[in-house]
Amino acid sequence: MTRIIISAFLLFLLNTPLAAQTFMGESGTAEFTSKVPLHTFTGSSDFLIGQVNLVENTVDFYIDLTTLKTGNKKRDKDMLITLETKEYPFAEFFGNIQTEFDASNPAKQPVKVAGEFKIHGVTRKIEVDGTMQVTPEGLNIQAEWQLNIKDYNIVPPKLLVVKVDEVQDIKINAVLAPVNN
Amino acid sequence: MVRRLLFYFFFVVSIIIVPTLDLAAQMPRQRANPSGPVDEVFWAPRVVHLTSVTNLEKNNLDFNIKHTFGVLTNGVEDLFGLDAAANIRFGLDYGITDWLSVGVGRSRFDKLYDGRFKLNALRQKKDGSIPLELAFTGNAAILTVKNGYEVADRLSYMGGVILARKFSDRISLQVTPMFTHFNTVTIERDINDQVVEEINDIVALGIAGRVVLTERVALLVEYIPVLGDRNDQTEDALSVSFDIETGGHVFQLFFTTSQSMTEQHVVARNRDDFLNGDIRFGFNVHRVFSL
Repeated sequence: MTRIIISAFLLFLLNTPLAAQTFMGESGTAEFTSKVPLHTFTGSSDFLIGQVNLVENTVDFYIDLTTLKTGNKKRDKDMLITLETKEYPFAEFFGNIQTEFDASNPAKQPVKVAGEFKIHGVTRKIEVDGTMQVTPEGLNIQAEWQLNIKDYNIVPPKLLVVKVDEVQDIKINAVLAPVNN
Repeated sequence: MVRRLLFYFFFVVSIIIVPTLDLAAQMPRQRANPSGPVDEVFWAPRVVHLTSVTNLEKNNLDFNIKHTFGVLTNGVEDLFGLDAAANIRFGLDYGITDWLSVGVGRSRFDKLYDGRFKLNALRQKKDGSIPLELAFTGNAAILTVKNGYEVADRLSYMGGVILARKFSDRISLQVTPMFTHFNTVTIERDINDQVVEEINDIVALGIAGRVVLTERVALLVEYIPVLGDRNDQTEDALSVSFDIETGGHVFQLFFTTSQSMTEQHVVARNRDDFLNGDIRFGFNVHRVFSL
């Protein structure tokens, strides 16, 4: 009987991920750069929420789109109407790390993640290149990719507005703290 | 046999249940709730004639053009006032910070130049910790029409306190107690030989309300009763506006009694009565640029 209990306990431990291999943060930065004729503007938010599990190799990020600010209230309002944030408040990504990552190496390491990105109610599979680095503060993640708003059925307003470029440059930067179970 | 069954039981429990005790692979999505100021109590920095509590963000420039035409009651003869002499004001307002803006403007009537400021001292917060907006506003205007007056005689002023609240996404209200002063006033006789006397100082209360009808259209009402002594033969100004917001622009199409454009002139010079049909059409166009 004792052997059974010990065996079960060991199985318990084997299935429980190590605490320091799960990271989470709620104040990452997401930034997009948008181009219109003769003008480029940037919107950003400090409310990017993320979680990375190095045991299961999962990456999960989301942001409440209403927290994005471009420095112009009228433009912000147009953006939220265009993104239909009342119906689709989040942009979110959930995927897996595709490349090797050595958590014991403090150097910045390139990583590729693949998964599903969802915005405006449309989900598409994407691959994103970025870097991850274990620092004393946690796991620092940086990534950049391009988003074609047409792929997500996002139609910018046309009335009296110069049309926005379909391709938006997206950047994220987050420091995720280690999570203790 | 029993031991083996127990082992399998613990094995299955371990495989199936234990991982769910860990942090879920995908986090539940939760809306952010930044405790910042509420969005746009009014869409534009002006209601119709009144300065609205809405602030200009830092480095934002609001270019605004305002027209008021003649009264509608002249009918088709002057195309409901459109043929009459229009007062026109061009204005620029700039957000120095998120809580302080300054502006200048020039009106056609009396070739009037004005300079203004607005200081947003308190912002209503989304989390309810501050329930009201509080702002201070003021302007100084100088008429430059050739009439032989000294510079000091050409000046007029307005100072006001703006209190406002956005009750919901649809309903906003604002009150603006204000004090106006003209350095020079006149006493004259009208065509009926009645004495018409002006006074230097007038106190008035600007009241404004907004109902958002659709995502892009709102109905505004603005009423500016004079409190206490007033200029002879003047009436309280009343305006009704439809605000249309179209990406960076706010168009305000309004019906009003006053053809003047700065608050002190609206308070001191309006001689038309909305309920008597002395209504004129006008419009404001606001375009906000980020610098």
